[in-house]
Amino acid sequence: MLSYDQYLKNFDKCVSSYIPPYNSWTPADEALYKPKDLYRIPIKDAEELQLKSLKFAFNYHYEKNKFYHDFCKEHKVEPNDIKNISDLSKIPLIPDGFYKDYPHGKDFATWLGNIYTGELPKIVIPHTMPNYDQVIDAFSKAGVIVTYSSGTGGRHTFIPRDIRTFHSSEYALAKCVVSMIYPFWEYDSGGYILMPNPRKNFIYAGKALEIYMDAVKNIQVAIDRHINTETIRITMGIGKGIRSKFIRFASKRVSKKMIKDIVSWLEHNKNSTEKISMIGAPFILYFVMKKIQDLGLTFDIGERGAVVTGGGWKIHEQIRMTSSSFRKIVKEVLGIPEKFCLDAYGMVEGNGWMVQCPEGHYLHVPYSYFKPLVLDDEFNQVAYGETGRFAFLDAIAMSYPGFITTGDKVKLLEHCPVCDRPGPVLDPEVERVKGAETRGCAEEMRSMMTRDIGR
Amino acid sequence: MTFLREIKEREYLPNRTQIKLYSAGTFAVIKLFLKSPGDIKKLQQKEPLEKRYIRPPREYEIPKFNNDTKYCKSDEKYLRPTLWCNCRAPEVIALANQLGAYRVSDREFAEAAFHFVKEKMPLEILPLNPVEETFRRGTGTCFHLITAFIALCRAAGIKARYKMFAMNMIQAWVDSTVAVDPVVKKWYDSMGYFMLEGEGEAYVDGKWVVAHVGPKAERQAANGIPITKFGEDSIGVWFFPIPGTIMKMESIPYGLGALVKLAKLIAPGSMERVNVSIQNQIESGRKIIQEAGGLEAYDEMARSKVGPKKPKIEMEGKGEIVFGE
Ligand SMILES: [Zn+2]
Repeated sequence: MLSYDQYLKNFDKCVSSYIPPYNSWTPADEALYKPKDLYRIPIKDAEELQLKSLKFAFNYHYEKNKFYHDFCKEHKVEPNDIKNISDLSKIPLIPDGFYKDYPHGKDFATWLGNIYTGELPKIVIPHTMPNYDQVIDAFSKAGVIVTYSSGTGGRHTFIPRDIRTFHSSEYALAKCVVSMIYPFWEYDSGGYILMPNPRKNFIYAGKALEIYMDAVKNIQVAIDRHINTETIRITMGIGKGIRSKFIRFASKRVSKKMIKDIVSWLEHNKNSTEKISMIGAPFILYFVMKKIQDLGLTFDIGERGAVVTGGGWKIHEQIRMTSSSFRKIVKEVLGIPEKFCLDAYGMVEGNGWMVQCPEGHYLHVPYSYFKPLVLDDEFNQVAYGETGRFAFLDAIAMSYPGFITTGDKVKLLEHCPVCDRPGPVLDPEVERVKGAETRGCAEEMRSMMTRDIGR
Repeated sequence: MTFLREIKEREYLPNRTQIKLYSAGTFAVIKLFLKSPGDIKKLQQKEPLEKRYIRPPREYEIPKFNNDTKYCKSDEKYLRPTLWCNCRAPEVIALANQLGAYRVSDREFAEAAFHFVKEKMPLEILPLNPVEETFRRGTGTCFHLITAFIALCRAAGIKARYKMFAMNMIQAWVDSTVAVDPVVKKWYDSMGYFMLEGEGEAYVDGKWVVAHVGPKAERQAANGIPITKFGEDSIGVWFFPIPGTIMKMESIPYGLGALVKLAKLIAPGSMERVNVSIQNQIESGRKIIQEAGGLEAYDEMARSKVGPKKPKIEMEGKGEIVFGE
């Protein structure tokens, strides 16, 4: 078997275009690109990387972002206050919802410009009354990738990333998955993206998978069309009208075809020796497996196959799956072992990817550049083992301050109860804080498709 | 022709956003009609109501109107009477005078009017009516209450206007106001764009200051929400407007009244249940405030749970962003 070092070397070579030149590395880059396995850094070394990278990031946003600078002044915290690892919790956190509170039209572009840290490139928006998609397109052409995910009622979270930040985020996701799934990954294999085409879309969970297209040779995409913010809004259940009826009509046909295509891809690969992986929204694979069962088929892909999911576990209006029951179905229907069926937890406003370990399926935190925090009802930090609101300090985010409180409810443990990786883990069942909105990229997709398939 | 001009100038006609919202809403309602006429029948039945709604007694006296009382006679925008909002009605003038019109500063008056409407006039869902009637009755929907606030301000010579938006509510709120009746919940779901909420705005010290007069303190307490102060926006805290739907208007537009009437016609039972629920909330909120040790203590506790304030963004124009070819 390939040694882990060689395995990761091969991977880094494959995605070298995502890694900035060594002589330009910041402490954040150091924390992300240098460690061979982000989940196996000895605690002392990781804390050093964490402190250095977060100090650097905090200083950077403090100096180069006006709204965050003012916010810190208001909280009376400045870079000099951050000296050791325990000071990190002084860094002012941006509340959940801030990145959702945006205006529309021209002001939306200006708003994006105002939350952006550092120098904006020149952005030309050809429209005088641009909609969200037109603004996103114009930013993208100028090298600022604006991704989003949405909550109920079509309120999106919009995050602008410069290319470097975006590449770091993608690299982080891929590296986290590749190391957890060792020794599964290899370039000469087949892959299926269970998400909209990342090259054509800006939905975050999908967009970040663009790197998958470079890390794996033969990639298929489940949804190959462009989905705009309007489509997502409509499928979230508002804005009923002829237009939305039409979109649903179209998506129903597309969905059925999509499921059929994935099933025949699996059929096609049945007797091959090539490895295959599927990455994306669990509910798409759920419908695929249901279809396979309806056809009276089963597959025995075995250790030749892997499944990586992300984006939430609501399969249907009434059905909420757990990741463990999902793994059992994958084992039963596709024959893929549980150790190669991993869930990843991340969000549009962060670049930390918590990926399950194959041994215990706990969500491991990449703690060299990403510090997880748990807050109680009154927004005070709580100890390991207690449940509360998830917040994080993210050193990778350069184009916006990544010190954020989320609306997710998690339980953070100091160590994994099952495996021997040294860093902190989250309990695999992440819920929404009561009163917050339901959200998740898979959620957006799920609504569109259950409506269409279910009728 | 002056009437037509008034319609246009004082913004009685729904604007584009509203027309879009209205038609989306109408579409949803018709669909619900066609899809499940059974539900409509259920809505029509008044029985069995677990508890009938009894309007609470008015919490204030209306002072006697005196012909010499000073009031604003300007025909300027935001100071003149508009639809449902006759700021020159005797009741309005008398109450404005009692609240200190022309004797205290604009800010003090607007604050007094805000507290009066917010805390002395509970919510009750019912069709729109002229503002003087609202004052005589002492209850109303948020639009009645905003109108009451606006009328008081205008009578005192302070410009005031409506801020309306389509919205999404937080779950705690949905559970208590909407989910009591499963049919209402269904309607709620199918009418995402249909529900308009609003706030008032008064022009004080050279700035438009927001007044969220809809919920009484007790009702906010029942939902674990801090007690809103004059100038505090509910938007972004527990109202999440659908982007692009915020409208600022001099008047309530035509059509809004008809909508509420239609709702009453279709679902009188549901409407009554909501009113009962509002009274229950006020009751339970009263206990919560008492247990917390009074209004201020409650507010402080609730505010600690809302969490830290969001950063403020001052929208600076960015030279790097260019619009148009
Ligand atoms: Zn583990």
